[in-house]
Amino acid sequence: MIEIKNVTKKYGDNVALNNVSFKVDDGCVFAFIGHNGAGKTTLIKAITGIHDFDEGDILINGKSIKKDAIECKKEMAFVPDNPELYENMKAIDFINFICDMYEVDYVTRKNNINKYAKMFEMEDHLNETIDSFSHGMKQKIALISALSHNPQILIMDEPFVGLDPKAVFDIKQVMNEMVKEGKTIFFSTHILDVAEKLCSKVAIIKQGRLVKVGTMKEIKGDKSLEKVFLELEQ
Amino acid sequence: MKKIISLIKACMTSDMSLFKIKNNNQSKRSRVLLPIFLFIMVFFSIWSYANMIIEPLTKIHLEYVLLSIFVLFTFILTLVEGIYKSSNLLFNCKDDNLLLSLPIKRRTVLFIRVFKFYVFELIYNTMFMAPAMITYIRYVKVTPSYYPVSIIMLLLLPIIPIVLSIIIGMLLSATSTKFKYKNIAQIILTTIILLFVFYISFNLENVVKDLALKATSINDLITRLYYPAGAYVKMITNFDILDLLLFIIINISLFALSIYLLGNTYFKVNSCAKAVKTNHNHHNNYKIKTNKVIPSLIKKEFTKFISSPVFVTNAGFGLVLFVLGCIILPIKFESLTTAIATIEPSVSIETIKSNIPVILFGLICTSSLLSSITSSMISLEYKSFNILKSLPVKPYTIILSKIYTAVIIMLPFILIGDIITFINFKFTFIQIVLIIISSIIIPLVAETLGIIINIKYPKMDAENDTQVVKQSMSSMVAVMLGMLLTFITIYSLAICLNNNMNIDLIILLGLIVYTLIYIILLIYLNNKSIKEFNLINC
Repeated sequence: MIEIKNVTKKYGDNVALNNVSFKVDDGCVFAFIGHNGAGKTTLIKAITGIHDFDEGDILINGKSIKKDAIECKKEMAFVPDNPELYENMKAIDFINFICDMYEVDYVTRKNNINKYAKMFEMEDHLNETIDSFSHGMKQKIALISALSHNPQILIMDEPFVGLDPKAVFDIKQVMNEMVKEGKTIFFSTHILDVAEKLCSKVAIIKQGRLVKVGTMKEIKGDKSLEKVFLELEQ
Repeated sequence: MKKIISLIKACMTSDMSLFKIKNNNQSKRSRVLLPIFLFIMVFFSIWSYANMIIEPLTKIHLEYVLLSIFVLFTFILTLVEGIYKSSNLLFNCKDDNLLLSLPIKRRTVLFIRVFKFYVFELIYNTMFMAPAMITYIRYVKVTPSYYPVSIIMLLLLPIIPIVLSIIIGMLLSATSTKFKYKNIAQIILTTIILLFVFYISFNLENVVKDLALKATSINDLITRLYYPAGAYVKMITNFDILDLLLFIIINISLFALSIYLLGNTYFKVNSCAKAVKTNHNHHNNYKIKTNKVIPSLIKKEFTKFISSPVFVTNAGFGLVLFVLGCIILPIKFESLTTAIATIEPSVSIETIKSNIPVILFGLICTSSLLSSITSSMISLEYKSFNILKSLPVKPYTIILSKIYTAVIIMLPFILIGDIITFINFKFTFIQIVLIIISSIIIPLVAETLGIIINIKYPKMDAENDTQVVKQSMSSMVAVMLGMLLTFITIYSLAICLNNNMNIDLIILLGLIVYTLIYIILLIYLNNKSIKEFNLINC
């Protein structure tokens, strides 16, 4: 479970997040929607402990990211929007490196790497260096490494950008599997119809302020998510 | 022309962010004060050095030799810097796709790259030449023509070494692309060329002797040695507008001609440099390995280190010179002691021999403090720094792994140098133990200092590795502080030797001081740098 409590983040005079609060329950697929520059990535970076924030707190399964960052990070996996991986490493070395950081045992990592490499059709490329990969392939490597340590919470920033249709389909399957196991998925997206189909809950952010949060039904009613979003943006 | 000006403006905006510090908590005052302090320090050091050189020259009315020495020194410095910077500055830049897709000639793209290179070299050259030019005015009554000639000289001085280094850089890149491991090939080829340039520079004595036989005057000798140096001396001692025009035409034509001729080759080499050799024959052949956190982090750091030729060359060159110094010291020991005895007859060969452990200690300090590897390690993470920060690993562990990697890289070179010196000179057991401990502690100090500086002045938005390794605030501060510490150490060692202190005691005292510095740095790292590390945004 992720609990965001009155989080405020400022960059000088610019308020990137203004008193944002909401909760993401276990077994929930939660979409975080907003315009470019609305504060989506800033919040994701705050949740994952990449950025500090000025006020409030974020609890990951009851632990504070401010006070117990390492324990919180152990529960999570993060897939960035533009996967800037270690280009000079071989894909398998990068995945092994991430597994080492999460102290994943040999059997678990072997099973997970084989499973997800096969799913994302990357088996043939694991021995290649990352700098030879396309954006989509890098995104797949980021996903494999994120999933290889069985995270309780998967956090993704724009996960569908640059992926081929098969990979998008596979991610959706992985998300469904994780939800069935009671795990939590939190992601930001611009692709509203994907969010509409996949998510049980959604939050909309505008200029750092949370303008709507609730179940998909509560948010959109009889309208489409796209229409609701555009109305809020006007 | 408008297009070129807009392009230069757009490209320079990101490149000239030399003093851009990405750290929100950094006060504006320290941002401004530090570069000023550094500039004054460098300027004053060079100015003092120039004064030291010109004083004996005044007695024989050869003041202008000072300027020719500085022109020659700046040329060698720009050439050496240019050789290992050019491949990285010209090829594989992040804005390649954008520039090459624009409706502009390929030569224009090369021109933009070389122009950026020129601007940075102009700044560095000015830092060295300006103090010498000012010193000259203090000692010689100059004519009004001295000022415009000197300004033109400053502006044109970087051209010849830049043209030479881009030709060498292109050849290096073109050759290394033919190898499977092109980065390693580039590192080896660059090192060979740099060592060759150094060999020539250190053996100028023979060249000068040969040229002196053919030269009609000192100025003729300087001109034969390096044309711009001779032309400059001629223009300030006996100004002729035709000489000035000829000098301008030669330099500008050389620059224009090299851009014109290299334009097409540049595009081909750049395409080859971008090509990544992939191997598709490893179906299911990947190895799943487990490792502890710190060894895994060290492995990651090491992979990054060897994949960046400019990083390796920058860090490794001082270390290679240290080993070479240790090899040359016993070979040239006799001529060295004779030279010292000529200057200072009271110093005997035996005294110098017994001082070797202290000299070695000084050499370890110099090579370690001037080869800071960690001062670039945070910035070289670029945007992947976010991956590191999202991992369940303490920042202190991440920082330590970077320090350990740097020390692991340095240690073999220093130990090899130590062993060579131990074999060739008499060392007591205590001296051997003290030197070996120093060989571990001093690199630890240098690298801890380097990482603290990089955390304080990160540059996470660099266009390429060269910007981080050679043109960032962090690398500059690390070099300057390294120079300062080296200077203080050598000065202190000299005072101790002059006072006939016991050799073992001198090394022991040095070791104690460095251990204390290391402890202080670790405390600082643990308390302040960790907080600053968490504040780095990219």
